[in-house]
Amino acid sequence: MSFLAQTDPWAGIDVGEQLFAFSPMIALICTMLAVVTCPLLFGRGPRPIAIVVAVGVIVTFYLAMRVAGVVSTGAISGLSPGGAGGMLIADPLSAGFQIILMVFLAGIFWLWWMGSAATERNAPEFFILLLGSALGMALMVSTLNLLLIVVAIETASLPSYAIVGFDKRDKAGAEAALKYMVFGSVSAAVMLYGISLLYGLVGSLNVADLAQYVATMGFHTGESSVLLSVGLLAFFAGIAFKVSAVPFHFWCPDAFEGAKVEVTTWLSVASKAAGLILLARVALTFCAAVEAPLNMQFLEPVAWVIGIVAAVTCTIGNFSAYKQESVKRLLAYSSIAHAGYMMMAAAVFVYAGSPGYTAGLTALLVYIIIYMFMNLGAFGITALVVWDGGSDKLDAFNGLMRRAPWLAIPMIICLMSLVGLPPFAGFIGKWWILVALGGLDSTLGWFLVIAAVANTLISLYFYLRIVVRMVFAEDQRAAVRAPVGGIALVNLCALALLLLFVFAQPLKTSAEQLSRGMYQAVASNTSDSSSARVADSGS
Amino acid sequence: MDLLTLIVFLPALGGLLCLFVPRAQVRVVAVLASLATLLVSLLLFPTFLGGAEAAESIFGTSYGKLQHVIRLPWITGEGFEIEYFLGIDGLGFPLIILTTLVSFLSCLASWNFDTWKINKGIRGYFFLFLLLETGMLGVFVSLDFFLFYIFWEVMLLPMYFLIGVWGGPRKEYAAIKFFLFTLAGSVLMLVALVAMYFYGGAAIEAAGGSVPSGYRVTDSGAPVAITHGTFDLIELATNDVIQKYFSAKATLFLGMRFAPIMFMFLFIGFAIKLPSVPFHTWLPDAHVEAPTPISMILAGVLLKMGGYGFLRLCYPIFPLGGEYWAFLLATVGVVSILYGALCAMAQTDFKKLVAYSSVSHMGYVLLGIAVMTPAGFQGAMFQMIAHGISSPMCFFLVGVIYDRAHHREINRFGGLWLTMPKYGTMATIGFFASLGLPGLCGFIGEVWVLLGTFDAGSKYTWAYPMAILAAAGVILTAGYILWLIRRVYLGNEREEYRGFPDASGREIFILVPMAILCIALGVLPMQTVFNFTNGTLDLLLAGVTDTINAMI
Repeated sequence: MSFLAQTDPWAGIDVGEQLFAFSPMIALICTMLAVVTCPLLFGRGPRPIAIVVAVGVIVTFYLAMRVAGVVSTGAISGLSPGGAGGMLIADPLSAGFQIILMVFLAGIFWLWWMGSAATERNAPEFFILLLGSALGMALMVSTLNLLLIVVAIETASLPSYAIVGFDKRDKAGAEAALKYMVFGSVSAAVMLYGISLLYGLVGSLNVADLAQYVATMGFHTGESSVLLSVGLLAFFAGIAFKVSAVPFHFWCPDAFEGAKVEVTTWLSVASKAAGLILLARVALTFCAAVEAPLNMQFLEPVAWVIGIVAAVTCTIGNFSAYKQESVKRLLAYSSIAHAGYMMMAAAVFVYAGSPGYTAGLTALLVYIIIYMFMNLGAFGITALVVWDGGSDKLDAFNGLMRRAPWLAIPMIICLMSLVGLPPFAGFIGKWWILVALGGLDSTLGWFLVIAAVANTLISLYFYLRIVVRMVFAEDQRAAVRAPVGGIALVNLCALALLLLFVFAQPLKTSAEQLSRGMYQAVASNTSDSSSARVADSGS
Repeated sequence: MDLLTLIVFLPALGGLLCLFVPRAQVRVVAVLASLATLLVSLLLFPTFLGGAEAAESIFGTSYGKLQHVIRLPWITGEGFEIEYFLGIDGLGFPLIILTTLVSFLSCLASWNFDTWKINKGIRGYFFLFLLLETGMLGVFVSLDFFLFYIFWEVMLLPMYFLIGVWGGPRKEYAAIKFFLFTLAGSVLMLVALVAMYFYGGAAIEAAGGSVPSGYRVTDSGAPVAITHGTFDLIELATNDVIQKYFSAKATLFLGMRFAPIMFMFLFIGFAIKLPSVPFHTWLPDAHVEAPTPISMILAGVLLKMGGYGFLRLCYPIFPLGGEYWAFLLATVGVVSILYGALCAMAQTDFKKLVAYSSVSHMGYVLLGIAVMTPAGFQGAMFQMIAHGISSPMCFFLVGVIYDRAHHREINRFGGLWLTMPKYGTMATIGFFASLGLPGLCGFIGEVWVLLGTFDAGSKYTWAYPMAILAAAGVILTAGYILWLIRRVYLGNEREEYRGFPDASGREIFILVPMAILCIALGVLPMQTVFNFTNGTLDLLLAGVTDTINAMI
């Protein structure tokens, strides 16, 4: 209630600048509204909707590029009058993520247009939900306010439940959606409970304040330590659900198998990426607040927990993929394993403890970008095979090398890239994570390096199972009929994987820029509350 | 365009071309591409000619003198530098020539692709074949560890498909076994790759952040300053600061002493490729299932990568590891010799016998390297080259008879010399070279290794018994080869093989160069191999011994 006392709560805040900084999200909302309005004017056919969505995605992409150009000199925390800990953050990281998200959304849209557009009768609803979850993910990476984190996660999750079970007549989809929703609601409730505990303890919803509290009090002082631990654990459980880290991964294979391929692709990359970047933001805020001497003693156990969860997630994901007969399900488990690899990077920045330490975040961003192409390619090919043959079992891939070489070759590239074999980009993604881990020069780092490379070996076999079916298995079925646009999409993905390997340098440089310019939240009691514009925090 | 880049990527370009020419011309393009690579690689010879007098200008005065160097930055960042760094010395050069030669001959051996049982996808076959050649050549010329690793892995996928698609009845099993074994080795190498970079960086930081390079000088003659960790394989081996830090007692990796454990990680990776017992089981499977030309490549070049890896990475960079594990390594070498020979003796499948004989022969390479004496190193290197010529020849000889008889049962053959006199003559040369008959190439390598092992008796008490056991291996080798020749080539002519045509012109054309080399290497070892390799090997060993002596 403090801001009511002020005469002008918006004093010192450039509203125009702030609106511009958040314009990509506003554009996304406008697109959703346009999708709602469109059927009233042009009917429910997929074509007008597609045009609206395409324009909306392009505009959002353009605005995100503009914002990225502007905020590269400094982060903006704002749209909340009278406080340094603004509700929303616009910094290179959030703008960069929005750019990645839009590129990915374009890919998903392309896939949808190739496969589902012709038969889709509820296109407006589908896109409202898809764009809604995109908005939620964009929000997830743009906030450090506990309340808004919950709102963002829910905004991302609720539409996701619905699009997983979008086809009402499909029993598998409905079952998947229900499982997803039950898991999601429970973890959201747990998270909310944790946040309420934390709020009760700290008296603020700002993560920076929470971090400040932890830094000054620590876990070992006072009777509040149990409360704090439970609160934090419950809070991280919510994030772990989004990331599908073990033991919160059970929803993942069912939801991915039941949903349409476009939706599965979307969730497998976007929702995990958003969760991981949120985790990165929160973790780095904690690191920034914790004073150096206390640093290791306090953060090391946290880093170990994240590291072990990451290694276990990886291993369980890979071993569970062994026996799968459905390619969608196999790739779902593979996405769990990849979430594990990415979480290893998260362990890095907690352990390193210094806010200037960007190797972990850089590795994470590079991995997300490469992973996006790998999964878009692998799921895209699966989609094309499923649309042709009606089955997503391994048998559907038999003899693909002969029946559709233009699908089999990119599939081999995508799968070997998922293994992490040079000369494909997947290796570069793993490489930067290994480098970040090695840079820690600690037991945890080397333990995770060994866990990561051991998992590479484990994963080889089940990815090869698909390759074996495609190349070695005899099959007399007719050639696969696939739309040219779909073939172009998956081959572009495969080409991108080759190019991102050779030109690994630019990718790394730009990821480094994004992570360097990241907004550093400051606790409200230590900062100058009149300024909402924070100077460049990069080092 | 510099020579090494051209040599490495010429096959891959030819491979791409194969994808676009009409089906009937594919094999012509492939053979021309591999021939062109062979001819271009021969241009490297002038650099290394000059004999003993010019040794210093060719090989330098300490390990690290390179020829045809090219280095360009690839992935750089703050304190991070991955380079496109190629160069050759006495280690890489002979293996490059071996690779281009064996690749050309096995490309010719693929000429009758259309008569194979599985003759679909000729474009894919030659594309993968030439891509494999690029990978192999890349391994022998890259001196940046990261680049080395990339080329090392690039070979995996083509080899997997070459065995898996065009192989024998159990091809899928053999291909996946090959892939898993090799990848298991390479992930260990990956750990070492990351660790060596960061520990090297830590060494330089501890020494004040900038140290003079061990071998690179600027134009003015002053050493280049090294300010951060490096992937440069020569720098890692020659930089005193890094070397001291790597071998210091206090340098620990996960609680274990750094040099021995890193040596072990790399060693396992290379021992799988070599292959030495107990990591050898993929080899007989892969060889038996692979088509003949691929067996030739496998035996002729791929196995040499293990030995090359020891000499380029393990020993120069972690000399202390070599000292630490010497007994274990020598034991593994001797066990490989004896076990491989005994297994070979028990085989009834012609190809499997040759495969196990490879295990036995590569055991000499490991033994020679493990004892760390000049003769041992030289003998190991010679053995690699000699085996790289004789064993593809043996595999091709098996292939020739398999093309006619469509089986490989040794006991069902007999009297082939009478039916096919030209083929029989070639076979005798090939198998006697493999046996190690004096005057043929196999002899020199084995004897040098045995001499080297005896030499090591002054520092290791276990060296004499090892040498005696290894010498016993020669008898076993003679046993299984002579028995093989008796069963297959001698004896009465058999009715079922009477109609077999003698070796065709193409087959003779492939066999003759290898037969000539078998004899030439046996008669003129200095002029054909030692003059090119010993300069680098001796300097390398001197560096290794210095570091060990400084540490003990």
